[in-house]
Amino acid sequence: MHLDACVSHCAKLQIESPIVKRTVLFGLMYVLVVLFLLPIILGVMGTVLPAFGLISSIASGSGFDAVVSDPRFSSALALSLRTGVVATVLVLATTLLTLVCVHDTRLWRLLGASLAPVLAVPHAAIAVGLLFLISPSGALVRLVSPELTGLTRPPTDWVVPDAGGWSLIIGLVIKETPFLLLAAAAQLSALNVDASLRIGRTLGYSPARCWSRLILPRLYPRIRLTLLIILAFNLTVVDTALLLGPGSPPTLSVMLMALVNDPDSRAAASGGAILLAAMVVACFFIVWLLEKGIGKVAVARRRSGARGKGFGFFRFAGKGVVLGLLFTCIASLLLLLVWSFTRRWRFPDAMPSEWTIQNWTSRGDVLFQPAWTTLSIALTVMALAIGSAIIWLELERHRIAPKLDGMWFLPLLIPQVSLLFGWQAVALWCGIDGLWSTVVYTHWLYALPYVVLILAVAWRELDPLWGHAAHSLGAGYWKVLWKIRLPMLRRPLCQAAAVAVAVSVAQYLPTLLLGAGRHQTLATELVTSFGGVDRRVIAALAVLQSLLPLVAFALALLYPRWRLIRLQTRATANTTVPVAL
Amino acid sequence: MLPLRVENLNLYLPTGQCLVENLSFTIEPGSVLALMGPSGSGKSSILSWLTGTSDDRIRASGDVWLGDQLLSHVSTENRRFGLMLQQDYLFPHMSVGDNLHFGLRGGSRQSRKDRVRQSLVDAGLAGMEHRDPATLSGGQRARVSLVRTLLSDPQALLLDEPFSGLDTALREQIRRFTWQAAVELPVLLVTHDVADIPPEARVLTIGEPCTSVDSLTAQPI
Repeated sequence: MHLDACVSHCAKLQIESPIVKRTVLFGLMYVLVVLFLLPIILGVMGTVLPAFGLISSIASGSGFDAVVSDPRFSSALALSLRTGVVATVLVLATTLLTLVCVHDTRLWRLLGASLAPVLAVPHAAIAVGLLFLISPSGALVRLVSPELTGLTRPPTDWVVPDAGGWSLIIGLVIKETPFLLLAAAAQLSALNVDASLRIGRTLGYSPARCWSRLILPRLYPRIRLTLLIILAFNLTVVDTALLLGPGSPPTLSVMLMALVNDPDSRAAASGGAILLAAMVVACFFIVWLLEKGIGKVAVARRRSGARGKGFGFFRFAGKGVVLGLLFTCIASLLLLLVWSFTRRWRFPDAMPSEWTIQNWTSRGDVLFQPAWTTLSIALTVMALAIGSAIIWLELERHRIAPKLDGMWFLPLLIPQVSLLFGWQAVALWCGIDGLWSTVVYTHWLYALPYVVLILAVAWRELDPLWGHAAHSLGAGYWKVLWKIRLPMLRRPLCQAAAVAVAVSVAQYLPTLLLGAGRHQTLATELVTSFGGVDRRVIAALAVLQSLLPLVAFALALLYPRWRLIRLQTRATANTTVPVAL
Repeated sequence: MLPLRVENLNLYLPTGQCLVENLSFTIEPGSVLALMGPSGSGKSSILSWLTGTSDDRIRASGDVWLGDQLLSHVSTENRRFGLMLQQDYLFPHMSVGDNLHFGLRGGSRQSRKDRVRQSLVDAGLAGMEHRDPATLSGGQRARVSLVRTLLSDPQALLLDEPFSGLDTALREQIRRFTWQAAVELPVLLVTHDVADIPPEARVLTIGEPCTSVDSLTAQPI
């Protein structure tokens, strides 16, 4: 007893010693930074070194020469560049058009309610839904056949995915526009949009000019990073390109995926991944140049005093684009649901003639085992990401850790192909490839940035006086964290958790490359089975993949409300008792 | 300059509550009508309705005239009402000079430059053309904001508590500057503070729950 008491006393002394405490906390910060940055550094090195033929055990010869001499290279590079750039320009244009034409209208409120679910649905699932919509035997053709087209069989004079990459571009636009739009909408309150519009209009400017001269120049710097992330993603995406992109030639990232699976082409794959990253950097540089040029023109136009007229058609066009986007998203998702319960749906019938639940019950092996793997990984990633983010933000609040918002964006700015080829090589070398924990670690790497960035805003804004008040009532650090800070931040915590689940569920490439084919998730099953498995089972897979993040988002929305209602009910019950007495 | 006339203005909140009923008034050029009343009585809503920027959930009827021109169905940007709010709303991504250029209508490049430079001199802000608005004092910002409004060549001036954000010493200075600058315009001033109202101005007090005024004319200062 005496010894125990002494040990406890000494431990208490040690932990309460400011120097020891600070050292432990600094250590914790460095552990987090190393855990986050190490795979990125190793991943980049693991891609760069084989590309130069510096690791002969993995790849020999110059990867650059090998990939450039591949006859598909130049066409694949051009296709990636075209689809990535066009999709990003369209995403930006659609976002700005939506803001200018729809902001502060009923459609804007409808959009606010429907964007988050669309954002939650993984790229692969929405890509499959889009194929069901726009393919020659898809719902759009069925809706107008045979009455308007005369078709009794699916047309054969066009194919989806098309050789020009337009299907891929549409898929990227409908999935990425909500992302940029939400990022922009979150910034509008800081820009005093209503007052700026009011002042600008009373100075004689049309609403469109007010947006272009007063609001967009201040909004753009705030969404630049999100736009660059979207550009990098669109240029290098793999899963959506596999589903919606042309096959011959494919995009560069898809071509590199084929190379990395061939041990003899490992150097070429690494070289190609470096070139892909260089293409992304070159595009960033062009964006910077364009910003400078457009900025100068914008200043000159602002000084010209030209007021502008005619907003009616512009607004009409903008609303049309927004409605078209919403329709495509919702129709794609509904088609997944319809196909997953279809037994027979002959062309050109507008609806299935027979329905069944057998698509769900008879292929449990294809559906539920990957669903369970996906769920277990997603929940673990969510817990780890939320825990890590809380630790980091608490360290930041105590001025142990600096604000490193830029660092968290790194994995999102580096093309997945360029990072994961190297990370896979390192995992192979360390003998940790194919482990469940390695897959979880990689997912954590991609979920953590979103979780930190969502939580950081609320964490930094929470008034420290709440904590001080609790401390003055005798509460210790842990009690304040557990009873005051975390409950007060319940809503952003729930949102961040839902986002972590959504990010993990959507991860295709990290699961495929680091899982070494041993962990079939819904994302890997959906992409690899596509084309080889019945489209009704594919639809069921896509529905399941969409359902997990949607349920997470629904819970994130409902749980804080349920807590609030419960609290209010209790409060009412407590106040009615004395009255009853 | 032309008189500003409001006829039979009715404003109702989405709940159906009446803000003003049958409000009519005329403001002659060079005169000020001060609109006073408790918070929530509808003063700012009247201003928003005049500029055509009121919340679409507020039910409104009535007419606004500038001389013989009916403006009720004219878009905000074509009404040519200069608006000043409690905050100056100098656009932070533009320099002081660019803010003023933004207000100017038409003219050659050189004439625009000259007008901006002269306006700054008149407002006691000479040499501040390239300054960032964030580096100006409250009084300087208020003057730039007023000059920007005046450079847009407004036909009437609508002021929504433009002095309330300023400290006491500065208020008097900006009030004088405003009344001097707006000497030819019909001015509608919304304020809580009697000291903001120039001595010659007419005062219209908006009461609760609903104001009914048949006619009221503000006389020249």
